[in-house]
Amino acid sequence: MDKTILKAIAILAVLGGLLAIPRFVDSPYALHMMILLFMSVMMGQSWNILGGYAGQHSVGHAAYFGVGAYTTMMLMHTKQIAPWIGVWAGIALVVVVALIIGSICFRLRGPYFVLASIAVAEILRLSAINLTTLTNGAEGILATELPPFKVGGAIITDFATKVPFYYIGLFLVVLTVGVTYLVQHSKLGYFFQAIREDQDAAHSLGISISLYKNIALVLSAVLTSLAGSFYGIYVGFVDPPTVLGLDVSVQIMLICIIGGMGTLWGPVLGSLVLVPLSEALRSNMITEALVKIGLVSPESKIGIFLKENLSHAHVLLYGILVVVVILFMPDGLMGFIKKLAKRRKQEAV
Amino acid sequence: MAVFMQSLISGILIGGVYALIGIGLTLIFGVMRVINFAHGDILMVGMYLTYIIFTMLGIDPFVSVLITFPLMFLFGGFLQKVFINRVLNALAQNQILLTIGLGLIMSNTVMLIFTSDYKILTTSYSSSTIQVGGGVSVSTPLLISFLITSAITAALYWFLLKTDTGQAIRATAQDRDAAQLMGINVKRMSIIAFGLGAALAGTAGALISPTYYIFPQVGGVFTLKAFVITVLGGMGSVVGATLGGILIGVTESMSAVYVSSGWKDVIVFVLFLLVLLFKPSGLMGKSRT
Repeated sequence: MDKTILKAIAILAVLGGLLAIPRFVDSPYALHMMILLFMSVMMGQSWNILGGYAGQHSVGHAAYFGVGAYTTMMLMHTKQIAPWIGVWAGIALVVVVALIIGSICFRLRGPYFVLASIAVAEILRLSAINLTTLTNGAEGILATELPPFKVGGAIITDFATKVPFYYIGLFLVVLTVGVTYLVQHSKLGYFFQAIREDQDAAHSLGISISLYKNIALVLSAVLTSLAGSFYGIYVGFVDPPTVLGLDVSVQIMLICIIGGMGTLWGPVLGSLVLVPLSEALRSNMITEALVKIGLVSPESKIGIFLKENLSHAHVLLYGILVVVVILFMPDGLMGFIKKLAKRRKQEAV
Repeated sequence: MAVFMQSLISGILIGGVYALIGIGLTLIFGVMRVINFAHGDILMVGMYLTYIIFTMLGIDPFVSVLITFPLMFLFGGFLQKVFINRVLNALAQNQILLTIGLGLIMSNTVMLIFTSDYKILTTSYSSSTIQVGGGVSVSTPLLISFLITSAITAALYWFLLKTDTGQAIRATAQDRDAAQLMGINVKRMSIIAFGLGAALAGTAGALISPTYYIFPQVGGVFTLKAFVITVLGGMGSVVGATLGGILIGVTESMSAVYVSSGWKDVIVFVLFLLVLLFKPSGLMGKSRT
């Protein structure tokens, strides 16, 4: 009992700290990093519901991310519909898309399910490229002008700084983590896990497999589409490869796998590792640090090579991370930490 | 009619190369039950290898297959021994992710070395054609690559059907445990199978290098194509992959002519989903496991 209270206090303290951050930090870069972190947690956590809890490893989540992002952006760009209204259209469309995908893919199991989920996402990506009148094709949609957000005539925010995005992101993270928590502690979550552990056994116990798989998919897809819409509005630009590409699906999955699938805090942990690391590589911080310590001189061949190329290498790092995680900690960082804690306990006894 | 014949013939010719890619993937899946998501990236490595041999040593891409094949075989064997072997009994998604990770490492390492610029390998015959008659012409590099593909496929069938090692590989694919009990070294068979799969993908890369752009991200397209081909033919079936490759080649070239080249890949994926839904065991597959 004490433990749960302690946990709740800790979570509230972290949340309070996060709420207060924009009051004390006005560096746009720091806020930008936090927003990227929020986005990553949302993406990983949404995948977690379907992949981690229900055990359906979709490699096509870019479909939901992209449909959300595209719908919101298209409505804003062509019809001048504000994103907080457009996002509902995105959700409605994603539910329809998810149910269609579910009706196709859930007839298949294991590797066949994975392949079908990729195929559907690819069909959507290619359609976005080819339906030029609707989506502006490969050029993508650029829409950076956000209308001010008003409640009863009073302007709440005009999105001039990163602060409103920060709070929207934080709200969405609390929402996604909250939904996952509720799923984990409800009958629904137990059904999901039963399906994950043994589909046939779950079926014989009277759990409707296709119903609960579809519920997991719709929940996961709606949250992913929210992340996609948020991405679209924040960045102000969407095009087929960045929101519908296979890379997006893999990245969504990665956050969860590296952190630990089927755990509430896995995607958070995964994001805390992945986002700073890829940002450090992208902005050449690592090379600068190496130069500062004196390990590499900036004029040497290695120094020049690192400076020119390391910023392109963040995907390479993803690859290496995946291989290392799969080979040495197949249950992700959460699993690894739990194992260490267990070993410690045993040693203490 | 000439247009129809033209697209049919070029479809079959490119289908031969697709078959090679598909056979590689299906061999790996058959023996290890691992879906190799790095298959296209292995093909990409084969393309760059051919490019290096061509620019540094001046060896014709079709001749350099003799070097590419054994090198890619060793590369595949290495991947199997060091990485894939450790996850043979792991969860399916972990195997998939491992191969995705390996693919990312390959494509990004190549990008670091060669940058992401498109490279073109121009031979004296790259754009030459042969008139067949009836207004139908055939691209010379495609025709040569089809002939080489057919020879390799024939040799592979002979290897799998007639040699002891080939039979051992097929036995391992049929029932890993039983094969092991019969004294077959399944670990070695796995290494050979992955090596062969990689060698076939690499060879396919070498064969298409005179007609395709060479760039680090080229693999993704071929990975997806390889899946479509193997599922179409039936996972694990070599005959199926051969037929599947040709079928996909013809479908692509037909839809490029009669629908539009932008939608041809969509048509291929829709066909793929239909096969998954209505005949998941594929054209030649017997069981789904």
